[in-house]
Amino acid sequence: MGALFRSEEMNLCQIFLQSEAAYACVSELGELGMVQFKDLNPDVNAFQRKFVSEIMRCEEMERKLRYIHRELKKDGMKIPDRDENPKAPAPKEMIDLEATFEKIESELKEVNTNAEALRRNYLELTELKEVLKKTQIFFAEHGRHGIVDDAQHALAHDEGGGGFVPVTSVQLGFVAGVIPREKVPAFERLLWFANRGNTFLKHDEIDQPLEDPVSGDAISKCVFLIFFQGEQLKARVRKICEGFKATLYPCPESASERVEMLNGVSTRLEDLNTVLHQTEDHRKRVLMSAQKEIRPWIIKVKKIKAIYHTLNMCNFDVSHNSLIAECWTPVSGLEEIQSALKHGTELSGSTVPSILHRMQTKEVPPTYFKTNKFTTVFQEIIDAYGIATYQEVNPAPYAIISFPFLFAVMFGDFGHGFIMFLAGLWMVITEKKLTSGKSDNEIMSMFVGGRYIITMMGLFSVYTGLIYNDCFSKSVNIFGSGWHPSYDFRTLQKETSWTMNPADHFDNTTGPYPFGVDPIWQSSMNKITFTNSLKMKMSVIFGVSQMLLGVLLSFVNHAYFRRPLNVFCEFIPQLVFLMCLFGYLVALVFYKWLFFTAECPQYAPQLLIQFINMFLLTYTPRVMPANFTGDLYACTSIEPTSINATSQTVFFEHQQPIQITLVILALLMVPTMLLVKPFVLRARHNARVKVSMLLKVVVLKIAQHCLSMIKCPP
Amino acid sequence: MMNYMPEMTFNVDHGYLEGLLRGFKSGILRQNDYLNLVQCETLEDLKLHLQSTDYGNFLANEPSPLTVSVIDDKLKEKLVVEFQHLRNQCVEPLSTFLDYITYSYMIDNIILLITGILHQRPINELIPKCHPLGSFEQMEAIHIASTPAELYNAVLVDTPIAPYFLDCISEQDLDEMNIEIIRNTLYKAYLEDFHSFCRELGGATAEAMCEALAFEADRRAFIITINSFGTELTKEDRAKLYPRCGDLYPYGLQLLAKADDYDQVRQVADIYGHYKELFEGSGTGPGEKTLEDKFFEQEVNFMKNSFMQQFQFGVFYAYVKLKEQENRNIIWIAECVAQRHRAKIDSYIPIF
Repeated sequence: MGALFRSEEMNLCQIFLQSEAAYACVSELGELGMVQFKDLNPDVNAFQRKFVSEIMRCEEMERKLRYIHRELKKDGMKIPDRDENPKAPAPKEMIDLEATFEKIESELKEVNTNAEALRRNYLELTELKEVLKKTQIFFAEHGRHGIVDDAQHALAHDEGGGGFVPVTSVQLGFVAGVIPREKVPAFERLLWFANRGNTFLKHDEIDQPLEDPVSGDAISKCVFLIFFQGEQLKARVRKICEGFKATLYPCPESASERVEMLNGVSTRLEDLNTVLHQTEDHRKRVLMSAQKEIRPWIIKVKKIKAIYHTLNMCNFDVSHNSLIAECWTPVSGLEEIQSALKHGTELSGSTVPSILHRMQTKEVPPTYFKTNKFTTVFQEIIDAYGIATYQEVNPAPYAIISFPFLFAVMFGDFGHGFIMFLAGLWMVITEKKLTSGKSDNEIMSMFVGGRYIITMMGLFSVYTGLIYNDCFSKSVNIFGSGWHPSYDFRTLQKETSWTMNPADHFDNTTGPYPFGVDPIWQSSMNKITFTNSLKMKMSVIFGVSQMLLGVLLSFVNHAYFRRPLNVFCEFIPQLVFLMCLFGYLVALVFYKWLFFTAECPQYAPQLLIQFINMFLLTYTPRVMPANFTGDLYACTSIEPTSINATSQTVFFEHQQPIQITLVILALLMVPTMLLVKPFVLRARHNARVKVSMLLKVVVLKIAQHCLSMIKCPP
Repeated sequence: MMNYMPEMTFNVDHGYLEGLLRGFKSGILRQNDYLNLVQCETLEDLKLHLQSTDYGNFLANEPSPLTVSVIDDKLKEKLVVEFQHLRNQCVEPLSTFLDYITYSYMIDNIILLITGILHQRPINELIPKCHPLGSFEQMEAIHIASTPAELYNAVLVDTPIAPYFLDCISEQDLDEMNIEIIRNTLYKAYLEDFHSFCRELGGATAEAMCEALAFEADRRAFIITINSFGTELTKEDRAKLYPRCGDLYPYGLQLLAKADDYDQVRQVADIYGHYKELFEGSGTGPGEKTLEDKFFEQEVNFMKNSFMQQFQFGVFYAYVKLKEQENRNIIWIAECVAQRHRAKIDSYIPIF
């Protein structure tokens, strides 16, 4: 609590790093994670900084690692995560790393190009095989003559326009090939347009999807046969095929040649398959060697890059051959930082120690909260609304209770709450396992991140659920209801619903239900009206208390920063405003709960209307009947009409003057909050300007005087 | 009410995309970035600086050494990815509007391919040079056509720009002169069509876009006239190529049609205040900006102004144009850096 109440006290420090020890020192500081470096050369381009070549080398390494990573993913190889956190390697190890990555990358590339060539070959052969098979089927179905006749018939009819063309005189040629399935319609249409319908296309789908040699994706393709007539058309058809990236395959005319070719292709395919397998195995071996190491490598390279980025923020002192860094550090962590620096210097073998030197500054330090795994979530929620300025009061410690509680006020069901609690508890217990595996599931990781808050919300929901007496939206009768209907059986049979007057049916001997809402309300028809009224009043009380807490915290801030003006012009008016209106409302809620009993249900004030009337300044007083003695506002069972008592009339003595005073007070606070502070600030500013103006005038006068003295001849 | 005040309901359909686009727009490089870029010694420096801008890691996966063409491809790719995202998310009429933007790239691609084929280049070499925003399915089969009529009947008839091609069918064969004529006829038809589409949309879109397209039309008219001097193009044919949706139409175009040399074009421009300035500030001498650059500058200004108004489609057009200019700038600087020819490195056109 102490650490979370205000942000850590910060200090601007200057660190003199010996250039040979700088890398190791920054690495140590980075592991510590308590230092925020300031960029001392913000105007220098990214590519003009001192360590730009190292950063470029890191980026090149990252590129290679990404490539290897992609290849690993492509093969579906799992990258083991052993939760390792290797330290940044020494700068000279960078060369080794580079060499290793270079070797793996070039090996992989070589294997890939080989495999790609092989796969392309394989694809072509498979396609050829399919072409041969399909054409065989085409021709077998129709007979060599059949299909050519069909084509001839179609073409001749189209061309001749009814004229008789002797079938035998037409020599039809054909090409066969393979084309991606989605291109078939456009291909067919273009063939038709371009050749004026003088070609005949037949196509059929290849059953199993083929593999793209480069990406490895599955693609569906079609085998096609185009029949045409004459050399000119052949050239055209070939051009169109080329345009659509269709691959043409030689297809012999006679069936026996086709069968022979098919056999040859099949044997070649088998050979190729074995070669492909061998290449795959080789690739696997190359990848295996990278598989175990890739995660530490990625972390190492990232760390090196981060260190050089940090070093780029430093000033270089040529005369002392050292780097000067400026950074913000928490005062409480100074010793750890010192020892980290010392450790870094030792590691690098430098004899001159790095010096940490505290500086005085007027800059506002950054806000830093030391959080643990429990408080982090709450701090994050608060930060989402705005980060407190340095040393301001932090609302997060209060939110640890108020956030889950207010959630529970809304949720309020102990059955559901318990389930939620169990889910949260499971996440808390298995947190090691859940947080270590960086899951890609965004929603799940969100839940895991908020596991403590979920547990707390569940727990509080059980509590409020018990108060609301809601378990899976049903009530539970634990202590026995305080209501006992005294209707006899015959009366009850007449109607389905009966009003239970508390005076007759409420058992005063046992008292009210000991904890929470009486379960009898579950079976009543006005359950919603009743619970709504209860919950609304509770919400008003909680809401106002929370606002009050906020306002009071602002006082703590004003007191801490010694701003009396803010206390008088912000805090007090805010407090008065809040208390006069909403504090008063809360008081009325309690008054109603305490002083209006079952004896005078008609008198009970309607707070909403009463509150509105307070602003409208409309009051209906009660009437004192002639010979009436006793308290006009006491809750007694006198006839309400005789004293004009309704839910909207005045219900306690001096209500009118008190309320009018409160409203006026509250309204007065509005201009106080709005106007006083700016005018005071303006007056202060003017006073300061006046002094400086006065100074300016005096200086000018003197200058003028001097000038005139010079100008005047003596 | 919806018809009278499209601004009222604009956000229902297009608000998200406009917001997204304005976010993209804030990633456009600023003067400061350019000042840093021109200081680069190598392309690696350039990459490093671009990393600190909105481009982020777009070059991170490229093995060194970098080349200008790789940068160019990646720049284009980034623009295309953004554009495709917008196109995939949008609904009518914005989707048609975005399609219209791609048509100009399609025209450019077609012309590029025909010219390439005319010079006996293999199609596989040409395809990668096409702008990816304007690629279409039939594009690669373009080399089967040897006359404009064939081109229309076989290749383009199914594409959205087929209607623009109707005026070109009459051309006899594809030679350099005719290709230029086809390009300009296509552009003319395209600009006029786009112009009328925007006018039909009405509202703020019409205001912003008609102005931008009018400028584009006039620019083409001027450039066509200037480039036609000393060629075989007759004056009548030339007059047919002028897009008729600019400020020059009709009177200025009649005058342009009669022009015989640069000075006469200049006289035409003198009548129109905003074009007069461009001609006055331009020249071919050292230290002077070319007329083309002047027009680009003016275009950039137009496009920037387009962002001043909300609830209209002009911003989408403007963004693509500005981004294109930015790509040109980066490539210019990259070329200067790569060729160690720094004398002219400053003649990029700053945007913001």
